[in-house]
Amino acid sequence: MSMRFDASRRASLQMLLAMGALRPALAAASAEPAAAPVLKVVATFSILADMVREVGGPAVEVSALVGPNADAHVYEPTPADVRRVARADLVVANGLRFEGWIDRLIASSGYRGKVVVASAGIVPLQLGGGADPHAWQSMVNGQRYAQTLRGALLAAAPQRSAEINAQAAGYLARMAALEQDTRSRIAALPESRRRVITSHDAFGYFAAAYGVRFIAPRGWTTGSEPSAETVARIVRQARETQASALLVENISDPRLIERIAREAHLKVGGQLYSDALSAPGTAADTYIHLFEHNVRTLVEAMTPAGNEHTH
Amino acid sequence: MNALLAPSAAVAVPPAAPLISVEDLTVSYRQHPAVHHVTCLFEPGSLTAVVGPNGAGKSSLLDALSGRVKPSTGRVQLGGLPRQGLGYLPQQSGIDRSFPLGVLDVVMLGAWPQLGWLRGATPAQRDAALGALAAVGLAGFESRLISELSVGQFQRVLFARVLMQNAPVILLDEPFNAIDTRTTADLMRLVQHWHTEGRTVIAVLHDLAQVREHFPHTLLLARECVAHGPTAEALAPQHLRRAQQMAEQWDENADWCAASAARSS
Amino acid sequence: MTLHELLIQPFVEFGFMRRALVACVALGLSCGPIGTLLVLRRMSLVGDAIAHALLPGAALAFVMFGYSLWAMSVGGFVAAVAVAGLAGLVARLTPQREDASFAAFYLIALAGGVMIISMRGSSVDLMRVLFGTVLAVDDASLLLIAGIASVSLLVLAVVYRPLVVECFDPGFLRHLGHAGAWVHGLFLMLLVLNLVGGFQALGTLMAVGLMMLPATAARFWAAEVWSLAAVAALIAVLSGWGGLLLSYHANLPSGPAIVMLAGSFYVLSLLLGSRDSLLARQRSQRTHRKA
Repeated sequence: MSMRFDASRRASLQMLLAMGALRPALAAASAEPAAAPVLKVVATFSILADMVREVGGPAVEVSALVGPNADAHVYEPTPADVRRVARADLVVANGLRFEGWIDRLIASSGYRGKVVVASAGIVPLQLGGGADPHAWQSMVNGQRYAQTLRGALLAAAPQRSAEINAQAAGYLARMAALEQDTRSRIAALPESRRRVITSHDAFGYFAAAYGVRFIAPRGWTTGSEPSAETVARIVRQARETQASALLVENISDPRLIERIAREAHLKVGGQLYSDALSAPGTAADTYIHLFEHNVRTLVEAMTPAGNEHTH
Repeated sequence: MNALLAPSAAVAVPPAAPLISVEDLTVSYRQHPAVHHVTCLFEPGSLTAVVGPNGAGKSSLLDALSGRVKPSTGRVQLGGLPRQGLGYLPQQSGIDRSFPLGVLDVVMLGAWPQLGWLRGATPAQRDAALGALAAVGLAGFESRLISELSVGQFQRVLFARVLMQNAPVILLDEPFNAIDTRTTADLMRLVQHWHTEGRTVIAVLHDLAQVREHFPHTLLLARECVAHGPTAEALAPQHLRRAQQMAEQWDENADWCAASAARSS
Repeated sequence: MTLHELLIQPFVEFGFMRRALVACVALGLSCGPIGTLLVLRRMSLVGDAIAHALLPGAALAFVMFGYSLWAMSVGGFVAAVAVAGLAGLVARLTPQREDASFAAFYLIALAGGVMIISMRGSSVDLMRVLFGTVLAVDDASLLLIAGIASVSLLVLAVVYRPLVVECFDPGFLRHLGHAGAWVHGLFLMLLVLNLVGGFQALGTLMAVGLMMLPATAARFWAAEVWSLAAVAALIAVLSGWGGLLLSYHANLPSGPAIVMLAGSFYVLSLLLGSRDSLLARQRSQRTHRKA
């Protein structure tokens, strides 16, 4: 992996290296260490941005193109975004065709630096006709993402390797613990309970990794009044698959959800986050929080009523 | 059309009609009087026509007599007669003739004080209603809808309702308005029958020839009482002239009546 | 598909279909007579007016208690009662006609509601909370509707006579000294109760639709008040049952399906009814009796 800096940066780096040689001498004269430059990273969406922040720590200054609660599929770059990419030291993308607009954006910005593909090396699952890009829904993949990012940051800012390695190590440890915990909690539920009906289609990796079955409600229309046939279909589907819970979101009438849940003996679950973080200070404002929230919501939904206990 | 039959014996004899006393009666709308300080007496069993120019307050007098309207001054004494002792024939204009009701239902309303809200009609009451219909020449019409009737036929139905009410005092508000002569003649016979039964009948009318022919007493009203007494005297030319002179329009510049302040009750 | 599978089986298999059917039947039975009387009193557009009259009450409740379904429903009901009561009173005591006074008061209420909401600075669609859908009828709503229907039918049976007379010849009752006014007031309260209950459980379209369409269609089949009411109730119940089946078999949204079916009954009645329909008029032109 070669890096290319523009001329001015190369010059300043050479100056720094030169100064590094004088350091011991300077250290005698002044007690302050030299300030290392911060790496400007642009991540394509909020989840990646959060991971880069965690892995890079103070060594990086990260911004996301698609912010919290925003939809990467309908994103349209603004001129400010184009400028940010142009001035970035590093661009991080998910890959697996999650960002259909990234190639054009890079081209138009004139950015000639490295584009890190966070999902590199991961064998994708299928979704519809192509690859399922939501690889981060499995914490094992999350750890792979973190490792890939660490490698990229180290290559881009080797002088800060100590910090980066320390940050990454801590982050990876937390992720490993979360992975363990998730596995054990879900395994504690009998397989017959691990079925939920949800209109989210982004949980393929979660399903595969932890043994939860996500069932898409057939023929569900969003927004206004559903027909009796639609409701009947979902109830029948729930009965046939013996699903435990219903986590459908864009329904305007909560009473209808309640009715369906009663009829089909489903628990009504909370909200799941899939493609973006939520606003800072809310339940899913970091990747770790997002994952914890989803696991908590799913486990509670799948736990039989009366058996709930706080975690 | 059947000949007029006498009402059946199933109708009970009414209680004796009382003396009706009107004392200093004023009925006003928007501070203009329709009836202005009228005082008169209606003897029990009398048959009186109330006549006068348009706007003379004739209907308002009936309204005050029946208690539909509150007087501004004075009062009406009915000698202890209960509300249901007053039979009332309204003008058709206040009634929704297209309403989906049957003829018999409307006639049965006359027995409202006995039926109330919930009670069903007894066979005797039903017979009385059929008899009333026969008396007004509408035998066989009981299952028709009122929306299918002509104006004359509907007027007969209203008369039949009054018959059902079997009241000692009967008020008729323009009973022969826009009715054909045949119906008018039939119904006039009914009115006279009431008179022979001893009921007090007070009728607002326009046709002076009819009044002269059938009504022994007349009250000539032109907001104030112009004349009241036997018809021939009350309808003397000088009285008629005085009544005509009364302005039909309300006078916006008329002085406030001093008597109203002093005697309002 | 057998007839049983077509007409009965969906209700056997699914609880939500059964509940929806019960709600339609209950509402249809009480709305039949009430709708008939509304049509006779020329108050046919009042249903929609009342739907809007709910707003200031719901808005005030929102301001005071936040997003609470019960507070807002009660607030809406009180506001609707106030509008109906004031309109009725004004029509009684002044020469103003009832449809005009209704229009005046519901518009005042609507404007007041919008003002309260905008002063609060929130653009949240409050009314959504107050209006349900027939497929989502839960136990509480079902009890509410069944209760309202029972009470309405009972009260109507008792005040039927004075109510009808009050419509037909208002002077008559007045002359007898009976206060026809408060019977009419009672009728207005029943109207608001049925409408608000209907809104809560079934939504505005369905509640007003089931109240007015069968009543207007009945005109072409029946001649007297009581038979009009009975035909209206029957048409309402059939529309509910048929509409639910349409929603089930043809994948149509439930509320509109039921109301459209009621509307089709209306058009059919208009064209082919046994009394004064276009077909009946055609026929009566051609032949007549001798006397």
